[in-house]
Amino acid sequence: MTRSQRLAERSDDAVGRRHRPDYQIALYMGLLMLLGLVVMYAIGPQRANVLNNAYDTDFYGSTYFFIKQTMSLFLALVAFVVASFVPYRLLLNNAGKILVAGFIACVALLFFGNILHVDAITQCSLGACRWFDLGPFGSLQPAEFLKFGVLIFAASFLGMRAKQGLINDKSQTLIPLGVVAGLAMLFVIVIQKDMGTGVSLMAFLSVMLYMAGLKYRWGLLIAGILVAAGILFILIAPHRIDRVTTFLSGDASTLDDAGAYHITHAKIAIGTGGLAGVGIGNSVQATGYLPEAINDSVFAIMGETFGFVGLVAILSLFTALLMRLLKVADHMPNVRLRLVVIGVFGWLAAHVILNVSAMVGLLPLTGITLPLLSFGGTSMVFIAAALGLAFQLSRYTVFGSKLKSDEYKDSQRGRGVRGARNTGRRRTT
Amino acid sequence: MELSLQKGSRSRILAGLLLLVIAIFIARLFYLQIIQHDEYVRQAEAEQIRPLIIPAKRGEIYAYDSGNLVPLVMNQTVYTLFADPVMVTDSTKALKVIREVAGGNLRPKTEDLLARKDTRYQILGTKLTRKQAELIKKESLLGIGFQEVAQRIYPEGGLAAQTLGFVNDGGTGQYGVEEALNERLVGHDGLLESVTDVSGVPLTIGDKNVNKPAKNGDNIVLTIDRNVQAYAEKALASGLKKLGAQNGSVIIMDPQNGDIMAMANVPTYNPKDFTKVKDAAVFNNNVINSPYEPGSDIKTFTIATGIDKGVIKPTSTYNNLDYIKVADRTIVNAFKGETGVITMQHALNYSLNTGMVTVAQRLGDGNRITRGARDTMYNYFHDRFRFGQLTGIELAGEQRGTIIPPTEVEGNAVRYSNMTFGQGMDLTMLQVASAFCSLVNGGTYYQPTIIAGNVSDSGEFVEAEQKRVYPNTIQPETSKTIHTMIRKARQAFYADYDTPGYDIGGKTGTSQTIRNGKYIDDETIATYLGYGGNSKPRYVIMVEASGKGQNLQGNLHALPIFTDISNWLIDYLKLQPKG
Repeated sequence: MTRSQRLAERSDDAVGRRHRPDYQIALYMGLLMLLGLVVMYAIGPQRANVLNNAYDTDFYGSTYFFIKQTMSLFLALVAFVVASFVPYRLLLNNAGKILVAGFIACVALLFFGNILHVDAITQCSLGACRWFDLGPFGSLQPAEFLKFGVLIFAASFLGMRAKQGLINDKSQTLIPLGVVAGLAMLFVIVIQKDMGTGVSLMAFLSVMLYMAGLKYRWGLLIAGILVAAGILFILIAPHRIDRVTTFLSGDASTLDDAGAYHITHAKIAIGTGGLAGVGIGNSVQATGYLPEAINDSVFAIMGETFGFVGLVAILSLFTALLMRLLKVADHMPNVRLRLVVIGVFGWLAAHVILNVSAMVGLLPLTGITLPLLSFGGTSMVFIAAALGLAFQLSRYTVFGSKLKSDEYKDSQRGRGVRGARNTGRRRTT
Repeated sequence: MELSLQKGSRSRILAGLLLLVIAIFIARLFYLQIIQHDEYVRQAEAEQIRPLIIPAKRGEIYAYDSGNLVPLVMNQTVYTLFADPVMVTDSTKALKVIREVAGGNLRPKTEDLLARKDTRYQILGTKLTRKQAELIKKESLLGIGFQEVAQRIYPEGGLAAQTLGFVNDGGTGQYGVEEALNERLVGHDGLLESVTDVSGVPLTIGDKNVNKPAKNGDNIVLTIDRNVQAYAEKALASGLKKLGAQNGSVIIMDPQNGDIMAMANVPTYNPKDFTKVKDAAVFNNNVINSPYEPGSDIKTFTIATGIDKGVIKPTSTYNNLDYIKVADRTIVNAFKGETGVITMQHALNYSLNTGMVTVAQRLGDGNRITRGARDTMYNYFHDRFRFGQLTGIELAGEQRGTIIPPTEVEGNAVRYSNMTFGQGMDLTMLQVASAFCSLVNGGTYYQPTIIAGNVSDSGEFVEAEQKRVYPNTIQPETSKTIHTMIRKARQAFYADYDTPGYDIGGKTGTSQTIRNGKYIDDETIATYLGYGGNSKPRYVIMVEASGKGQNLQGNLHALPIFTDISNWLIDYLKLQPKG
């Protein structure tokens, strides 16, 4: 048997013929990446200046961030291409190993960073180690890798359980997944103190469970557990309590309140943008007023630079990309593949919603990147890889009429499946 | 492939949720960016736009030195050393460094100041030089900083201290030129209002930037000659010391244009150390701001008035009884024995009060100082000689003095008889010296001035505006006559004091002082008022000496100082002897 035959044998996916992928995914992703690059180009010099002043050095050149972001984008594109060509079966069938690798990376970080304090290969601040330092190759955030691993594993696992009709089985499905999720939370939120990544992980897991057909009463129970855990995590960390109280004081928070500094400046940045923005290179908030201007706060800087029109355009691009992912998911030939795409959707959506909500003052700050736009390599590479996987899977979409109704038994609440309204032209080459 | 969501699928619910959230975001953005836009712009500007004052340089003050400009007051940047005790991490090292470099500039108990962790700002030392500041900066001490402070420096030390005044710690001129011309000296601070980054560095972003450059203060050039001033101060100080007088003042003027060549006072101080002065009286320039009864110097003005009105000539005679009755008072001479029929020149030489009262009587009906006589005297003294009027000198604190007009009850014959020999009115030395210039220069009153002009930043000299000139205080013929009379008055007794070949004249004055409204006998002020020159008078010198409880005589205590300065000036000004 050839390798591909063996893979096909092991896979019980009966997928349709491979066709042209959904280029819209690549288009929206590319546009967002380009926008991010433009902003890096515009505010990079100011950011470099702030850092040079802060550390009394001239290490950061005016194109430092632009070049780093270009390199990240290049790596991300490579990840996208690789993920879109490496056969998905290879990934799904090794989901367990990928997940274990993710956990090993986290354990290694814990070991070298928190326990051995090897500063040469780990980056820690305030007792939280989140990064491996790879010297000239930049840095790697194991949590992002773990997130990817959880996504693949959950899709694979839930796909199998859905096929078995055991999605709502407590001991077969919910508890094992709960253990994996809990373990991931232990590393990400408790050890690495990264609330944002943890929340986004839980968010896409929830969306996957939901789409796998989880019963609403289970859903409510899980939601209750998550809320309780969330409150616990907030209460054990004073800075998180500050963020929540700041959020609760709403637009009345002022500059005098140190805790409100970040969110107040995000609002000032967005507010001063007005309808059309102050223009590229004219951002004042990026000159040191707004913390994390190039990372987590990039949405606010874009609001200042491009105004209401620009932000609506950016949100529209994200919405288009997310809707596209949702539609691709809806046309996947089986639950397992659908859940992969849904996971990607959930991941992206969680980041966008959590980040934007914080910036506009609708949710407390969690410290989460805006995918494809924020400065930062690991997050970019893994989100691009995830999108690449979805892009690969978009080759296998099928028309609604061909979807197997039994696969939807749980998720459709028995209402059956009707054909797609549109039957667009399918080009076969 | 065109895809749409499966009807009734959970993905439709997800899509709905997503679109709802995005719609909420857009509504929120609309609120923040469109509705609340102005409010956030206001908040941003309140934080980002910082005015940066560009301090204007205070003008320097120059004097002449044989026609060249020399600085009397300049600026120097010094540094105030301060600490933020909270930020200071290594206070042992910080203390060691600043003690080594600037030990003498530190405030007492520096270590205690540095230990006050409850404060964020402590001044540790003042007036550090640039070099000291740089040495300390090189150590990169955390929490230690510097503030630039502009400070006045005085290359000539205490020279012309009362004329210059000083600049207080708030940057405001006090006394002298510094106070009188404060606004010109200060200039206008520039304003740079710009959007700044978080550490206050101005950015080129935005259209609300204001850039108003600073306009430095004028560099003032005084009419003072450094050498004349220095000699006057030396002559006054040593003269007073030799003669045992406590206080004294000198003014030297150019009678041909009203320029003040020197003004000196004893006791004096050094403006650099103005904070160490215990008695603020030394700040006062007594030449302009302490009116006194000028005494016999005024006799020259009385004679000039009589001659100008044609009621006397130098050779006119009167019968001197050493006393003369005016209304119910009897006025006596200080110097007695020259009784009999004598000339007016004789009366002036011996400074006889009776002669002066006679002149006043002759301005009236010959026997009485009538209202007409008093009006004439007031016209000359107040309107022409400008006694009792501010001269407008460009110095702070000039006093007007007092001269009582005949329209008032107090302006009666007795007062006017006293005024003929310099009593019953208060004048400043500047008023007397300025009017005296017009007596000897042909009858032109030049408004006295101490400002020659200013020097622009590029070094160009701009002459000061022409001061006011009041012609014909007396007729030229009268001036010639009184000029000669004053020379004779000096030569009658003191001719051999002077460098021969020059035209020098002067009049002594010994004024009684008034305490509690009564003339007292144990304290008199000595003055000498005279001129010197060749074909025309080149300088007018007035000297005053006084002291608490001291009986000082014009001829004994003021005249020698005049003579000293006069003889020196002839050399210094390289005057050619009269042909």
